[in-house]
Amino acid sequence: MSNVLLRAAGVARRYGELEALAPTDLELRAGETVALVGPNGAGKSTLLAILAGALEPTAGRVEAYAPAGWVPQRPAHYARLSARENLELFARLDGVADPAAAASRLLERFSLPDGDKPSGELSVGNRQRLDVALSLLGDPRVLLLDEPTASLDPGQRRRVWEIADALRGEGGAVCFATQNVEEVGEHADRVLVLQAGRVVYEGEPAGYAAAVEEAFR
Amino acid sequence: MRKDLRILRRSPLLLGALLVYPVVIAVLVGLVAGYASSKPRVAFVDEDHLPPVVAVAGRRFHIQSIVDEVSKNVTLVRMGPEEAARELADGRVVATITVPPGFLGKLVSTVQTPSLVLRTVSGGLAPRVTQQMQALVYRLNRKLQAALIEANLAYVSLILHGGRGSFLGRRFDVLGLDRTQRLLASLPQSERVTRIQEFVRISRLALAQTGHALEATANPIGLVQPKAKGRTWVLSAQVQAYGIALTVTFLALLLAAGAAAAERDEGTIGRLGRGWAGRLSRPRPLVSPGVLVWSKVALAAAAALALGTTIAVVFGIAVEAGGVTGGEPWARLPLLLAGVLLAGGAVGAAGTLLGALAREARTASLVAVLLVLPVVFLGLVPKGVAPPAAWLSDALPFVHAVRFFASALYDASPWRTVGVEAAWLAGIGAVFGVLARSGMRRLAT
Repeated sequence: MSNVLLRAAGVARRYGELEALAPTDLELRAGETVALVGPNGAGKSTLLAILAGALEPTAGRVEAYAPAGWVPQRPAHYARLSARENLELFARLDGVADPAAAASRLLERFSLPDGDKPSGELSVGNRQRLDVALSLLGDPRVLLLDEPTASLDPGQRRRVWEIADALRGEGGAVCFATQNVEEVGEHADRVLVLQAGRVVYEGEPAGYAAAVEEAFR
Repeated sequence: MRKDLRILRRSPLLLGALLVYPVVIAVLVGLVAGYASSKPRVAFVDEDHLPPVVAVAGRRFHIQSIVDEVSKNVTLVRMGPEEAARELADGRVVATITVPPGFLGKLVSTVQTPSLVLRTVSGGLAPRVTQQMQALVYRLNRKLQAALIEANLAYVSLILHGGRGSFLGRRFDVLGLDRTQRLLASLPQSERVTRIQEFVRISRLALAQTGHALEATANPIGLVQPKAKGRTWVLSAQVQAYGIALTVTFLALLLAAGAAAAERDEGTIGRLGRGWAGRLSRPRPLVSPGVLVWSKVALAAAAALALGTTIAVVFGIAVEAGGVTGGEPWARLPLLLAGVLLAGGAVGAAGTLLGALAREARTASLVAVLLVLPVVFLGLVPKGVAPPAAWLSDALPFVHAVRFFASALYDASPWRTVGVEAAWLAGIGAVFGVLARSGMRRLAT
């Protein structure tokens, strides 16, 4: 029980008549990677946003026992600020002691351009990596990644997973949404398959193929 | 706010508009103020062929000096009746003042009232010209009254003291009350003579007071206007107050609404708002909704201050360069700018609420533009005409900003008005700020 880093108990989200996420339980434990799989509109992003504290659940509760970093599905940084300015700004807001040093470290780690170029003019891949870099500010022990590698080339994708795997190796936890079956097989310890806002499968990656086939049908 | 200012600096089109807009507004306001203080062109049609000097009741009036006096307020141009009618129709003159045939004859007769004929265009400067012509006729009447009173007093003097006089061209000899009294004293005294003597005595006493009585009848109430250097001229101050209030309302609303909605457009509201949601136990959010609202309000107030300063300074220069009468644009600048800051904040709070509700920068900007004009027009509706419009306007910052600016610029003792309007602006800003905070939370979660 003590190795639970994040717990969602019966979290649900409704938009009027639409039930985007039925009551769902999820625990993220230290040292594990959980994959959320399902077709578009299945509720993966909704669940991740609720876990990140960015979306108010209409029911249930989230308990966080460790700081969590979040990479939303779409870019979430100021397009008119450079990558460094974005990193420094959010580092300062996060209470990082030396925002400039933290920004330099992350720029180097993610091979992001350190110039005046507004981040809105960077490539889609660079913007996605910037979001991943932003999620690592404040030294999170939990990473919540919403299709983090969707726009990345194989090299960049590998680098993101190296970081996620390293965090898991250090006793952290990763929860990621994906539609990439290979990533699930390579990185997930546990899989939740969602369909129309409901969890239709939870278990080992090895046994989820049938549930996925049903979900995507 | 530093981040918002940096983003603003990197939006060249918006920044350019922000820099050019106040200058354009200030120059326009200056031109309007200058136009308001310029002399309207008025045609002077003399159909009676007035001589250079007119004698009325024994007093001489120089026509050219009257024309010169009128020319202090309007540019009087002599022209024929057809030309005057044509120029009035074309709008090249705003009025025609006509001396009709027979005017002078009636005037010198002192038994008929002649009339000048004033024709004006409708709207524009017509009311001002009408007022100036009424003032001119009033001044002429005052001079004529003095002459006529003097002439009447000469007749009274004739009745009192006797002598030779003339009336309507006929000359005659008057015995006078003084000589009548002396004649009566030389007659044998009887009851009838005594009664006539008493009548003469009372008549002499009463007629001796005629001068004061005529003065009092002609001018029951006098108006004395000592010359003093006033504060900023009313019209200039009003124009400037509306110019700054309109600019502050337009830009602060647009800027705050756009900046608030842009947080959602850029996806940053989710990152900033992590932890705002309830049902969570997690570390503190990056910023609170209140701080985020405050940053937008501060941005709007800072932009308003910069724009207000620019307008006030450019306006001041335009007023000085244009020689607008009575202009005193510098003395109240600090008070004006304090109001601009407050108004910018209040409008910024309203804009932030709008941005939070619109949820998209483009929609927020469009709605802000659409909202500004009705808000401004509401502020122009007089309270007596449509009370509900005035009540609604009172709930919005624009009208309070106008009153604050106008009082700061014009009133000799502005503190009460400025204090009341500052309280309104702070109150309205606080209400919109609280609503914007809820809206921002809703926008994020």
